Amino acid sequence: MTSQTTTVSSGAEKPVHRGRHNALVQLERFALIIAWLGIIVLFGALAPDSFLSWANFSSIFGSQAVLVILTLGLIVPLTAGDIDMSLAQMLTLSSMLIAVLNVGHGWPIAAAIAVAIAVGVLVGLINAFFTLYFRIHSLIVTLGTGTFLHGVTLWISDARTIGGIDWSLVNAVIITRFLGIPLSFYYALALAVVLFYVFEFTSLGRKALFVGRGREVARLSGIPVTRMRLSCFVTSGVFAAIAGVLYAGTSGSADPNSGTQLMLPAFAAAYLGATAIFPGRFNPFGSTIAVYLLVTGITGLSILGIDTYVQDLFYGGALVVAVALSQLVRGREESLT
Amino acid sequence: MKLTTKLMVASSIVALGWSGAAGVSSAQNLEAIGAHVAEHQQLPMFDPPGAPFDAAACMADKKLMVVPFSSAVEFTGGVANRMTELAEEIGFQYVHYQTQGQPSQWIQGINQAITQKFDLVDVLMSDPRVLVPQAVQADAAGVKVVAAHAAGFDTAAPEPFLQVSIDYTQAGQLLAEWALLKTEGKANILAITAEDSFSANSLVNGIKAATDGCADCKVTYLNVPVTDWATRMQSSVQSALLRDPSINYILPIYDGMAQFVVPAVELTQSADRVKIATFNGSPYALQLVQEGRIEMDIGESIDWVAHAIVDAEMRIVCGLEPITDPKVPLYIFDASNVESAGNPPQISTGYGDAYVAGYRKLWGLQ
Repeated sequence: MTSQTTTVSSGAEKPVHRGRHNALVQLERFALIIAWLGIIVLFGALAPDSFLSWANFSSIFGSQAVLVILTLGLIVPLTAGDIDMSLAQMLTLSSMLIAVLNVGHGWPIAAAIAVAIAVGVLVGLINAFFTLYFRIHSLIVTLGTGTFLHGVTLWISDARTIGGIDWSLVNAVIITRFLGIPLSFYYALALAVVLFYVFEFTSLGRKALFVGRGREVARLSGIPVTRMRLSCFVTSGVFAAIAGVLYAGTSGSADPNSGTQLMLPAFAAAYLGATAIFPGRFNPFGSTIAVYLLVTGITGLSILGIDTYVQDLFYGGALVVAVALSQLVRGREESLT
Repeated sequence: MKLTTKLMVASSIVALGWSGAAGVSSAQNLEAIGAHVAEHQQLPMFDPPGAPFDAAACMADKKLMVVPFSSAVEFTGGVANRMTELAEEIGFQYVHYQTQGQPSQWIQGINQAITQKFDLVDVLMSDPRVLVPQAVQADAAGVKVVAAHAAGFDTAAPEPFLQVSIDYTQAGQLLAEWALLKTEGKANILAITAEDSFSANSLVNGIKAATDGCADCKVTYLNVPVTDWATRMQSSVQSALLRDPSINYILPIYDGMAQFVVPAVELTQSADRVKIATFNGSPYALQLVQEGRIEMDIGESIDWVAHAIVDAEMRIVCGLEPITDPKVPLYIFDASNVESAGNPPQISTGYGDAYVAGYRKLWGLQ
């Protein structure tokens, strides 16, 4: 009798637990979007005229493509268990190559872009070579190559900002608009869609995930771990190079230093993005949403005329709180199962 | 400076002072502002900052060192290189201690100047305050420490730094006057500052001096620290433009900010109503003037600055009367004259060459 009661009782609780579990999982998946909407509602209420204007959202969407693409480039090796710290320097080198070739040597802009992307491939191969052949941690290798790339950037630019890049690039990046939003946004979105497709619907993407979760298990399962990691490094280099193209197209110039400051925001967006859509995994849409959530908050604070130090409080605070909440949900998930 | 020029400047300053009571928008005041701006649109003439002296004789056994913020930065690295070349021409040793923007390197440079018994060390950087302990050590060891080009006349560097000041206040004043002139006294200005830079205070003082008496003007200050330019500048400017659609002038106090301000103006589709005026005369910014993306850039010649610093420092080392105003000209580049900076614009180009012979004559080399 007692045992029967216990059986009935536990059988009745399971669906309840499962329901709570599912609700929490769904809440976690979309928490970032809900937070984003919450921020929009908050600042919309505080400054409806300027914040809720289409011009504001157009500028928010149009101005962050570089960071989105850099973040996408970052999550590719992160998914496979590697870190690429040379991304921001690759971005800077890419934009500077375009400036030097196009302005300094009179190359057509398309040829300059092609060279920049080819260098992105090369840098990815170099990172992969030192990491995989010599079995050095990717953090160390890419820190070194990143510093080396910065030296190359300073060398080829003579440490100067170079302006006068073919305005057709600027036209193609921020001047030309679709639905009022500069094309740069759509480039970033397209890359996010491509990456999402590869991660979710191709064996390549799944293999990268397996490699990242357990390298030895993946190897024993017959996954070509070395080739997968190499592909991720090369993809990362190419994405950084594309981000550099857009960086040059945003201002029509290239400077040898400022792009390097985008590394930490990219990491923040990558880790914040890993709490959404597919929680616990670096994912393109999560990262994209994270970038726009952070910039929406910062734009709102700016529109209210709040000092820039508050932006840092928001940026850092949002990251830590979001990841902590995600872990909290994860903790509940464990107790439920 | 010619007498007529001095009178013109004096009358401008008097008129600007008067404007505090009467408002800038009166035609008379705008005329005075116009005269002051026009003064800086004339090709710079050499104005000796001090009395002539025999530089080669008094510097023969002296050795100086410059520790720039970064040898890889166009301005600080370029000025440091030119200073060493000028010293070679005069006949003394001027060492350029190569740095890459790292405080540990600056400290090493100063320590080396102390141990090798240099006569003077110049910390050529935007904020020398971070090196006060090292400057105290150098001063105690008998090495003179100079913070060249760090601040305006109205901002004193901490002891024991000696200064070669630049008239940043005048630059700030010119920026604001340009906006007042072009809007006929109805300027709504977004002034972008970087308060972590030592010279920003003087530039802001200049903007305030020009706009304080303007009844129909509005100035909003946006502070973006140098380290945040790449990540925050563009979005902050976009937000400011959206918050106040009547802004008609943006004054980035350094033209290194322009690469983030120009896209912000483009993205908010404000280019038809918002003009940009800035300061420094970097070649890439002058190119943006050529392209019509920036309306005006106040330039200072790197080569002229190098001459002025070397002149002032030689006087310090030789025990001559110190220079209070190195008289580095501020030259306005706009659509009317920016082609003179070269195509594409080059460093130290377009300022004339009056100073080249002028300084050599001053130093007894001719």
